[in-house]
Amino acid sequence: MTEPLPNFFLADLPPGGSLTPAIVTEACRTLKRNRERYLVERNTASIVRMISSVASSWLDPEYPFRKQALAEGPAATGFSSETLAHGLDTYFRSITADRLTNLLEQELGHADRMDQPTENNVDREFDRAAIATGPELLTHITGGVLPNPVFTGIILGLLTRSAQFVKCASGTSLLPRLFAHSIYACEPKIAACLEIAEWRGGSTLLEDALFSESDLVSAMGSDETVAALQKRVRGRFVGFGHRVSFAYLTRETISGFSLPKLLRRAAGDVAAWDQLGCLSPHVFYVESGGKVTPEQFAEKLAHELQMLEQEQPRGPISTDDSAAIATRRSFYEVRASASAETRMWTSTGSTVWTVIFEADTTFAPSCLHRFIYVKAAPNLAEALRGADRVHRRVSTVALSAPEDRATGMVKELARWGVTRVCAIGDMQNPPITWRHDGRPALGDLVTWTDWENGG
Amino acid sequence: MNAGNPFSGFASRLKPLLVDLASRPGSSLPEAEFNALALELFSLQFQKVAPYRRFCEARGIAADSIDDWRNVPAIPTSAFKELELTCLAPTGRTTVFHSSGTTADKPSRHFHNSDSLAVYEASLLGWFRQHVLGDWDRLIEDERVGPLDQPGFIILTPPSNAVPHSSLVHMFEATRRELASRDSVFTGLVAADGAWQLDLDATLFAIRKSMCANRPVTLLGTAFSFVHLLDHFAANNIRYRLAEGSRVLETGGYKGRSREMPKAELHALITKHLGIPPERIVCEYGMSELSSQAYVRNACAAQASGGSASSLHFPPWARVRLINPETGSDALAGEPGIIRIFDLANVFSVAAIQTGDLGIKSGDGFELLGRAAMAEPRGCSLMPA
Repeated sequence: MTEPLPNFFLADLPPGGSLTPAIVTEACRTLKRNRERYLVERNTASIVRMISSVASSWLDPEYPFRKQALAEGPAATGFSSETLAHGLDTYFRSITADRLTNLLEQELGHADRMDQPTENNVDREFDRAAIATGPELLTHITGGVLPNPVFTGIILGLLTRSAQFVKCASGTSLLPRLFAHSIYACEPKIAACLEIAEWRGGSTLLEDALFSESDLVSAMGSDETVAALQKRVRGRFVGFGHRVSFAYLTRETISGFSLPKLLRRAAGDVAAWDQLGCLSPHVFYVESGGKVTPEQFAEKLAHELQMLEQEQPRGPISTDDSAAIATRRSFYEVRASASAETRMWTSTGSTVWTVIFEADTTFAPSCLHRFIYVKAAPNLAEALRGADRVHRRVSTVALSAPEDRATGMVKELARWGVTRVCAIGDMQNPPITWRHDGRPALGDLVTWTDWENGG
Repeated sequence: MNAGNPFSGFASRLKPLLVDLASRPGSSLPEAEFNALALELFSLQFQKVAPYRRFCEARGIAADSIDDWRNVPAIPTSAFKELELTCLAPTGRTTVFHSSGTTADKPSRHFHNSDSLAVYEASLLGWFRQHVLGDWDRLIEDERVGPLDQPGFIILTPPSNAVPHSSLVHMFEATRRELASRDSVFTGLVAADGAWQLDLDATLFAIRKSMCANRPVTLLGTAFSFVHLLDHFAANNIRYRLAEGSRVLETGGYKGRSREMPKAELHALITKHLGIPPERIVCEYGMSELSSQAYVRNACAAQASGGSASSLHFPPWARVRLINPETGSDALAGEPGIIRIFDLANVFSVAAIQTGDLGIKSGDGFELLGRAAMAEPRGCSLMPA
């Protein structure tokens, strides 16, 4: 059994200890003081080195925080240890010094923008230099059970030299806490500018205390939650509501020699984080007219999910979630018995994976926990028509298309409102440079100071 | 229906059995006898209910491959929306019951003719009497009512001619006709948009009349109809005390027709505003896809409960299993499970029904925990309405 974590963050305190608005206010002020002392003057290069060093530590099987995450994670999060390990590895592999520097260049036009007034080619044209400043206190309101959006939020906040208060949704603070402790182990002074707390959303007194100290609040959650929070925040607010994602596979690519790899990666998209994130697929649209039919693709995907279950078992789920899957399966069993246009493949004696094939293109929201629809589509336009009910609510479309079609299809998806197109297998693995819901990653956080005629 | 029809034959043998079982509180149907009837009915339904046969065949099950009723494939209630699960030819269907539910839903359809309605009524009447009016003889002995008095009903739903597709109202109508006094009334109305409403004046008039006569009365309705009534009482600060021996039959479901209220709160308000004690509030569990109902057993029942006060009991001709939704096997004691019912009174449709509800075993009955998520892929919070 792993050692208990020292009480360093509010979320480390034993449950039942009651937070008060005064404690929250005091914590925010301490964070801001610490930021002034330890963080504001740190240069970007050292912050990038620190983050990339922590990220590479997380990949070490012997790293104590990783071991603790894998040991305690299953009970705390509902993910199996294997699913957690896979998700954490995929995430932390993508956090390298080079990529963080690329992110700064992409977002701010220069890697040193947070350090001093700098100029890039455009600035030179205008005889100008510019420096970007992060919010003094950046507050994160997390939603959902996936840890990586929280990790990303913290990393972005470190790059902007902000003090950060992370308010986790109930029952989800373990992994953010471990990540914060791993920063503490690396650089305690930087961790002193970071607070992790957990309380039930809607605790108005605590949240009002927090918001009144915050310069910027970034919130994730259901659209209703985000809208309700926005009304209560007087300062700057960045909100991310719920999104759904799907995949589109063309007839050419599913009929090619790479089909086995495609299937493995498709199954990986379903299994990643047990399908519980906004980037997880609900539906695979599979183009008809190829050598492999959408129905055959569905059958092969079922086989692949069965194989993947051995390596990355799905975590246990609540009776209500099991019942939702069982009830949904019964519905499709009836439909499949009455029509050749519906088929179903399921794990035996459990609900750990389900594949529904339907000839109909109407987008169907999955009941998640590795429950996936495969739908036949004659072409992308028809698939998008079928997905009309989630128009403007789609985050990611994983696309598998031959080169000569891909560009046109991405344009079609962009016009329809999709904000991210990725490869099959990468749905839950956006790079750190990802523009979440089509918005700039750092650009929404910083404030610019232009220095004209000063360069 | 011709006499040689095997379904009518089965029904005509079943009816006297139901009447007999219901007339003797505590009686049971031996396992072997239940099993034989269940398998005989399964065999008939397999042969004549084509979509059900295809459902069984898709599972690799043949008519003669089953020797235990527990292995008969249970069709989900959602299948009644998609398929015509009946042995009745289109021309032979005189009545169809629809599931309630929101207007956006495609309703379940349970088809009937005179033979199948006769089974439905035989099934519902005896069990209703045992659980809602099971203490009537005691009231006579205590001289609360006269030996020739029949119970007065105030039924808070529209009458059956206004809502011919409601199996619940058909049930209330059958019980009114067979068991209630002649001045019993329906006090519900159907609004222009199809929603059920309560005629408050008519309801209050009937209630006051029973109070003036000091006569025990039975109020029957859905949870939402009681909410409407209680809202009116609360708004006007009315607190009645109905004659001793009065009772309420409340059947679940709000279906978006009124604000939802937890059962305990609803019952507390019934006690507060009508003076009906909790032990005379009878809860019923039923659905249009079944022909039998489950009731709690309290002071109104002929027989004491073998479980907690909220434990529900089906009649001996309908057996319940709780299925672990994760494994598909029987739920272990103390574990919640999906409620699956084999209802012998579902002669002309399909007897083995899987509900969308979760329950937990309690004594010799079960407690209702609530609805599992909707089977149909909609209603996701992400979706625009």
